[in-house]
Amino acid sequence: MSDFRDIIDTEGLEPEEEARLRRVHELLVRAGPPPDLPPSLERTPEAEDAEIVQFPLLPKRRWAVAALVAATLALIAFGGGYLLGHSHGGPSSFSVEKIVPMHGSGESQGFIKISSRDSVGNWPMELEVSGLPKQSQRQAYYELWLTKGGHKPTELCGSFRVHGDSTTVRFSVPYDFHGVDGWVVTAQPQGTREPGPVVLTT
Amino acid sequence: MTTDGDLIQRAATGDRSAFEDLYRRYARPVFGLALRRLGDRGRAEDAVQETFASIWRSAASYRPERGPGAPWLYAVARNAIVDRARARTEIPAEIPDEAGTEPGPPEQAEQGWVAWRVHRALEELPEREREVIALAYWSGLSQSEVAEFLAIPLGTVKTRTRAALQRLAEILGDEVDV
Repeated sequence: MSDFRDIIDTEGLEPEEEARLRRVHELLVRAGPPPDLPPSLERTPEAEDAEIVQFPLLPKRRWAVAALVAATLALIAFGGGYLLGHSHGGPSSFSVEKIVPMHGSGESQGFIKISSRDSVGNWPMELEVSGLPKQSQRQAYYELWLTKGGHKPTELCGSFRVHGDSTTVRFSVPYDFHGVDGWVVTAQPQGTREPGPVVLTT
Repeated sequence: MTTDGDLIQRAATGDRSAFEDLYRRYARPVFGLALRRLGDRGRAEDAVQETFASIWRSAASYRPERGPGAPWLYAVARNAIVDRARARTEIPAEIPDEAGTEPGPPEQAEQGWVAWRVHRALEELPEREREVIALAYWSGLSQSEVAEFLAIPLGTVKTRTRAALQRLAEILGDEVDV
């Protein structure tokens, strides 16, 4: 680091002004260089409601509906969490930090409510789906996947079966969400191990 | 120049352009603060997102009569970063037997505030002045080398550097008054 006089031409400066500039110089030295912003931060984030995570595949009209429903769910989750926390306590309540709306064909839709990471590194999440057809086979089921690299199912979050119109299941996953570009729910026919057809997506 | 406080108050009414101005001014200082505290770029990026989400949500709670916008924004950022730090799951490093030379929490806090103010002020400089400051202070180049690098006369480098410091002195105000 250069000395003040190596950087600033002080010729003609009043002593008081030189002292001010020297103080700025000291602050610059103390502050160090500002960091380069990563590409992900070069654009202003969406400000509508940062609690709700919107992935790019959700069309605008559906997004508006989903946001409204998600906001309602958040309120219910908060109220439910409050009631649980004050009536039973225990592990069944968790605070919702993010809500990810999902959509599928017809009336099928879903929401992933994600809590904060716990002390051992797991992300508790609750998936609520509705409108998914009941499994046609005894050992068929659905799976929730994290997607990366162009919405390819990459990390399995959990498996579940639906019953009735609406089903809620809880998972806990240890994955880092960096690089994740969305979630999908796949239908898994009996005997299938690979990700099946996508029925819900973000 | 529109003050930070004005922008916060406009953001509170849903003014998207005011929010974008705040982001332009503070994205780098918030990221710098988060990096310093969290030591991880990925987590720091998350903290920046959370900070600006908090700013958008809570802008209406800003009270100009209690002080200018910068300290309020700093407090919001610090809270978001602390929340992110609490969520860390890595096993903490072993505590050394002997006292280290690392600054303690008060010094770190002061250092964070200084960097916050200076990096914020740098965002106000014209690009050509910010450029000479970065080269003069953090690239290790001498003034002659800066002139050569930018292909401009040495006198211009000196003029721009001095003008940049004078502008920073104006922006930093009380911080530099003697």
